[in-house]
Amino acid sequence: MSAPEGFEPKIVAYVCNWCTYLGADLAGTARLEYPPNVRIIRLPCTGRIDTNLVIKALEIGADAVLVSGCHPGDCHYSAGNYHARRRWMLFRDLLEVVGFDMRRLHFSWISAAEGRKFQQVITEITDATRALGPYRPYEAPARPFEENGSARPADVREKNFERSRQELRAAARRLLEEGKVKVVIGHGARGPVFIARPEETARLEWSAHSLANLTVYLKRPEVRALGAAAVVVKGCDERALVVLEKESQLRREELQVIGVACDGLGQAKCETCETHQPRFADITVGGAEAQSAPAAARYMELERFLEKPPEERLAYWTAEFDRCLKCYACRQVCPMCYCERCLADKNRPQAIDTSPDRKGNFAWQLSRAIHLAGRCVGCDECARACPAAIDLRLLNLALARAAETQFGYRAGMDPALEPVVGAYSLQDKEEFIR
Amino acid sequence: MSQRVSKDELRQRVGAWIAGGKMVAGPVRVKAGTVLYAPLTKADTLLLDGWTRPANSIKEFVFPRHEALYGYSIDATGITLHEAAPDLRRQVIVGAHPCDAAALEILDKLFNWDYRDDFYNRRRAAATIVTLACAAHDDECFCTSVGLGPAAERGSDVMLFDAGDGSYEARCVTEKGAALWGAEIDRAPAGKRAEAAGPAPRFDPAEVAAFAKEHFENPFWREQALACLGCGACAYTCPVCHCFDIVDEGNPRGGVRARNWDACQFALFTAHASGHNPRPAQGARQRQRIYHKFLMYPEKFGEILCTGCGNCARNCPAGLGVLPLVSEICHAESV
Repeated sequence: MSAPEGFEPKIVAYVCNWCTYLGADLAGTARLEYPPNVRIIRLPCTGRIDTNLVIKALEIGADAVLVSGCHPGDCHYSAGNYHARRRWMLFRDLLEVVGFDMRRLHFSWISAAEGRKFQQVITEITDATRALGPYRPYEAPARPFEENGSARPADVREKNFERSRQELRAAARRLLEEGKVKVVIGHGARGPVFIARPEETARLEWSAHSLANLTVYLKRPEVRALGAAAVVVKGCDERALVVLEKESQLRREELQVIGVACDGLGQAKCETCETHQPRFADITVGGAEAQSAPAAARYMELERFLEKPPEERLAYWTAEFDRCLKCYACRQVCPMCYCERCLADKNRPQAIDTSPDRKGNFAWQLSRAIHLAGRCVGCDECARACPAAIDLRLLNLALARAAETQFGYRAGMDPALEPVVGAYSLQDKEEFIR
Repeated sequence: MSQRVSKDELRQRVGAWIAGGKMVAGPVRVKAGTVLYAPLTKADTLLLDGWTRPANSIKEFVFPRHEALYGYSIDATGITLHEAAPDLRRQVIVGAHPCDAAALEILDKLFNWDYRDDFYNRRRAAATIVTLACAAHDDECFCTSVGLGPAAERGSDVMLFDAGDGSYEARCVTEKGAALWGAEIDRAPAGKRAEAAGPAPRFDPAEVAAFAKEHFENPFWREQALACLGCGACAYTCPVCHCFDIVDEGNPRGGVRARNWDACQFALFTAHASGHNPRPAQGARQRQRIYHKFLMYPEKFGEILCTGCGNCARNCPAGLGVLPLVSEICHAESV
């Protein structure tokens, strides 16, 4: 896109109070001239700059955004900038997959002594953005809801279903009879069931419909009120327990876990499963013969998708997100979405537009995704729950790949590893920061 | 007089409607395994083969999920209001299921009760519904339990019946339908083809209403709703759920006042500013959904707020929905 005649870009700069803001101040007192296109917004620390603010600025008319803070080692709060750096690394990877124009997003470290660097960075960004022209994120015409990508059917291997069902019922009965638990959260014929009496354990089923990740119920007050619980998990669901425990959301010792060995239930995730066998269950039932998929298969769908140019990727996600109804089924089925009040429900002021229009849907989908970066265990429940069949699996893969390639971390795989978010390393990548 | 049209002829008609500037919508496959009612840009994407119940409903075309009611701008001289400019092209919804078509007549009552909703009415007046009678059904269907059926003509302007030989028998039901189709209204009774087998009746709505009336505080609701995760998938894909929220979205220089869908299963739906929530948990929210459909709407408007499409159950990630829940009620009462 070429810039229209006389176009002056609007640059929003989110800066930290202690370094970059003082750098800007110094530029001023030193009479260093820089373009007036920048709107500076001062925040306590880069560690407090929510990615949603970046989305919001672009949404309401910014042509480029700069996020700037203290140099590594200089943070007024010791490590806020290290935490921020990690978040930006993940956020950039997410935006890359979505096909966002990365030339509109800038990061820098500018100290209180670097008035000249502030001048330089603002001048460079303003010139570059002026050449790019105005940012018009939501102007693409609505694409008709026509076939957009395809879902691959996978095999359901029913061979061990009967064995799993019988052993599952027996295990649940034992736990209830021995009084170890008050309720067993398992799969029934139609959906989740909550079994409180030994004689009801015949309602427990194991079939191709046993898809729900039941760990989501562990946070629900109505279910907690039932008392000590046992939960039925597959190897994939179980990864959520690892993350929840890391995030202090459950006490593993208060929970009984019945793991079901699983050969696959016909979902796309089953094709690349590496956890047919539960690893941390108190009781394991059933049998699985399927072999773990090779690591190379893990992100194949995503890598194929990334071969498309950014504009095509953005067009794909635009068509996907245009179908979003904001029913929040994706959030509600997610074991990791345990916030008592979601960012999307914060309405004083409204953090994310509630309208299910393109702007509101992008803001919601991107915010949801980034909040799950390094935390999503890839159970794909969101993708299963979405009535509009939005390709949330591909977004989940993007998050998983970002965490693995950048930090060697796979959520819920190794309980010994520190979580990606909430931790940092001095070795984290720097080259995208000016 | 009814007419025969081949599938090709039907597609030609659809193509002509599109070419004539009408907004034409119908079932479209968006992913393997997912069909939605959506606007068509060409006739070939219209899905006619095989019985498939779209995961959404046609209410979207008369009551969109998001609609600007008006815009406003603020400057030194004051506040200026701008009329919203809704897309009011003539619209044709083709391949609607009878349970979707019937929903519009049920919604008409709500949107024209104490307040006549112009936004709804204008879209509704612009819409002509070409319904395809169902030749099949699935386990979630229960239209026959709420007084409808696979060939119910309620809400339809033109009815199509699959003749089984690659053609449809078309029957114009209303003036609007006759005008669109270019034929006379068929005043003869629907005849034999209307007896296509629907799902066997699964429950008696009167029984549901009677149970609801007597059991507001019953722990049944809490127990049944344990699996409910509190999303809006049921309400948003329901042909008749119609709750909405009005929001202002903008900045200090202007914005829009918009109407967005809302759903009774959200915790925020009834949350007061004080923090109090009169429906504090899913049990109360699921109860509300059943009460509204089987007790409150019938008392106010004389009919059930449900067309038996089964979308709630098909779209529920936890296997809940109207049919599973009311089946439990009818079962529980007999115990």
